[in-house]
Amino acid sequence: MLRVMSRRGDDRVTWDQQKVLEGDTEAIAAVREAERIFAQERAKGATAFRVVQGKPIERIEKFDATAEQIVMVPRVVGG
Amino acid sequence: MNLFTQVLTALGWIVIALAVSPMVWLIIQPYLKGWSPAERRAMHLLRDMLTPEQFRQLTWRGYLEIPSHVEPRRVYRVPRTRGYVQVIENGHAIMRLCVQPVECLPDADLVVLHKLMIEANEEAYLQKANKYLCID
Repeated sequence: MLRVMSRRGDDRVTWDQQKVLEGDTEAIAAVREAERIFAQERAKGATAFRVVQGKPIERIEKFDATAEQIVMVPRVVGG
Repeated sequence: MNLFTQVLTALGWIVIALAVSPMVWLIIQPYLKGWSPAERRAMHLLRDMLTPEQFRQLTWRGYLEIPSHVEPRRVYRVPRTRGYVQVIENGHAIMRLCVQPVECLPDADLVVLHKLMIEANEEAYLQKANKYLCID
């Protein structure tokens, strides 16, 4: 699942990794959409984190379709 | 009661209502904000990101404490509503940090943002933050 923080709360794109591996067109389309949003947000300066329950949070630079959850936060500045 | 008195009474009530309404708004505003779809979604994300203990701490104490990976006696105290993140060492506030997203986010999302950034890369977070030293 990809979760992108915004003023609306978080926007989500979900996909089933198993169905992606089986070649399901809908699941593949969802992954492609998530990948597009990821690249778009990264270009705007957003930071992405891979969140896996029970594991340390990890900052990622590239989209990971196998990640349980990716959370993207907008660019931050010192206030 | 003549008409003049009635008009004066009505005007009096209007003045009182106008004087009280900003105070009433200040009191109820946080509750109304919590009903917005954005805040509800952000709260959902927050619940997913925190352990039950962390969520309880945030609810009852008004802040979330995130232990430092770099300095064992240090914790970062993230407020539930927008504001400075306090750096606590040995039980004393030594610094306040200000880090803001360029986009306006719901309060619950801000807590998640600080948590993710501190836990993933504390040094980068500190580099980005504006620091205000606390002097006793």
